[in-house]
Amino acid sequence: MENFLQFNSVSYFYQTKDNEIQAVKDLTFSVNENQFASIVGPSGCGKTTILSLTAGLLTPSTGEILIGNEKVGKHDGKVGYMFQRDHLFEWRTIWQNITLGLEIQKKNKDPKKLARAEELLKKYDLYNFRNKKPRQLSGGMRQRVALIRTLMLEPQLLLLDEPFSALDFQTRLLVCDDVYDIIKREQKTALLVSHDISEALSMSDRIIVLSSRPACTKQVVDLSFEGKTPLLKREDKEFGRYFETIWRSLTNENQKTS
Amino acid sequence: MAGILKPFGEVLPMKTKKQVNFSQAHKKYIKRLKQEKILVVFLQIFILALLLGLWELLAHFEVIDPFFFSSPSRVIKCIASLIAGGEIWMHMGISLAETVIGFIVATLLGAIIAILLWWSERARKVSQPYLVILNSLPKIALGPMIIFWVGSGFSATVVMCVLICIVITIISLLNAFTSCDQDKILLMQSMHASKFQILRKLILPNAIPEFVSVLKINVGMSWVGTVMGEYISSSAGLGYLINYGKSMLNLDLVMASIILLSILAGGMYFLVNLFEKRKQQ
Ligand SMILES: Nc1ncnc2c1ncn2[C@@H]1O[C@H](COP(=O)(O)OP(=O)(O)OP(=O)(O)O)[C@@H](O)[C@H]1O
Ligand SMILES: [Mg+2]
Repeated sequence: MENFLQFNSVSYFYQTKDNEIQAVKDLTFSVNENQFASIVGPSGCGKTTILSLTAGLLTPSTGEILIGNEKVGKHDGKVGYMFQRDHLFEWRTIWQNITLGLEIQKKNKDPKKLARAEELLKKYDLYNFRNKKPRQLSGGMRQRVALIRTLMLEPQLLLLDEPFSALDFQTRLLVCDDVYDIIKREQKTALLVSHDISEALSMSDRIIVLSSRPACTKQVVDLSFEGKTPLLKREDKEFGRYFETIWRSLTNENQKTS
Repeated sequence: MAGILKPFGEVLPMKTKKQVNFSQAHKKYIKRLKQEKILVVFLQIFILALLLGLWELLAHFEVIDPFFFSSPSRVIKCIASLIAGGEIWMHMGISLAETVIGFIVATLLGAIIAILLWWSERARKVSQPYLVILNSLPKIALGPMIIFWVGSGFSATVVMCVLICIVITIISLLNAFTSCDQDKILLMQSMHASKFQILRKLILPNAIPEFVSVLKINVGMSWVGTVMGEYISSSAGLGYLINYGKSMLNLDLVMASIILLSILAGGMYFLVNLFEKRKQQ
């Protein structure tokens, strides 16, 4: 489906005691179904705000957000959210962590869902660890568990807020590959926020470059490296060219503002 | 070349099985750990024996006046006669009951109030100055009022006990509740958790370490409350015995009561520790 996620002139203001902070200004962009899109922008420009708006945790001050042609409401369960840190609950086992969402939505007795949980664990090499506590797992494995926890609620759209930035570089490349693979295999639409242009390039089909705060679309770049994994894409000769385009798009604005 | 590469093929055994054949260095290390532990226990006992022996000797040769300083043998004699008299069980039982009731009421009530204050941000703001003042107020100053309100003796002591423990319980637990990672709450919300679910599945389990440390603090505090309550007004209990011993100038009785008190308090602390160990597993 074209334009599965649509932002139509969305603005958002944070209200504080002293002033109003406009975090998002007249933002318009779209993501197609099963597409992997990334948002890059200077720090503090409003990226997390955009994800919170998409998840329905915040309501736009003006404009509208559509997912599958329906306006984003508060409780429609279409969206799964993955954070910078995995936020696994240390007092729960891996199994209890991934079924947290089912428990919350009182679906944890549903045999179909439980079978799906088991299947995902097996598929992504975590089944033997299902009775372990999170602290017994490596950073990469924890991030995979966090992703499966998010997938359990069968979201139509995955939001990822710098999910790899807490990992060391090597693990990060591998986990990137893993997560990309899982998202593609499960055929999810994803919206990733990243500080790291290379990371965004290696994972995405589309990159949305934002201006500094208040965030609005600077440029949308559609990428085409046919069917390669993130690691292989990094070696593609197109990679450098795309990198430059995006880098220029980002910095050129910085010069204007400073 | 192949010979050099080979070791890399033999990956270390998975940690799933318990290692059986340890290296010499590891055995040495374990042995040293054991020796260290034995030494520590030995020193602990040694210091106790040394202090008691010194105390006994100094009292025996009247370097210190045994009338004021008592002595281990006199304390033991006193405890033996207390046990023979039989009344001591009543005194210990009453003190223990006051402490345990005060401890449980303060912990439960404190936890409930902390939960309510977490739930309502407004209530939290409104209550803040009261909590600060109550926390810095020496609770013993309320002693006379308590006696007027609930009568002297058992209930006054329990109330004193609760007053001493509850404020710190509320403050520490509330602090643990509100310091929960905001992103974890956002995560729960993105899964459409209700506020009650966030409380039950995130806030409360997340605060368990803090809860255990509150329990430990409360063991000590509730004994403070009991002894203070019994000092102010009572006709039974270990605090009463201490006070009575003091007025009769029977310092053997005072020392004996203190020793019994520390045995009870130590036992209670031990139980809480046991609870913590079981929670950790
Ligand atoms: N709850 C809030 N109240 C007031 N202002 C806020 C709030 N949250 C964010 N802001 C402000 O809105 C702007 C955008 O914040 P946001 O977190 O969306 O940026 P970001 O692009 O995700 O930043 P980073 O790159 O650091 O992750 C920032 O200037 C921030 O100070
Ligand atoms: Mg952010």
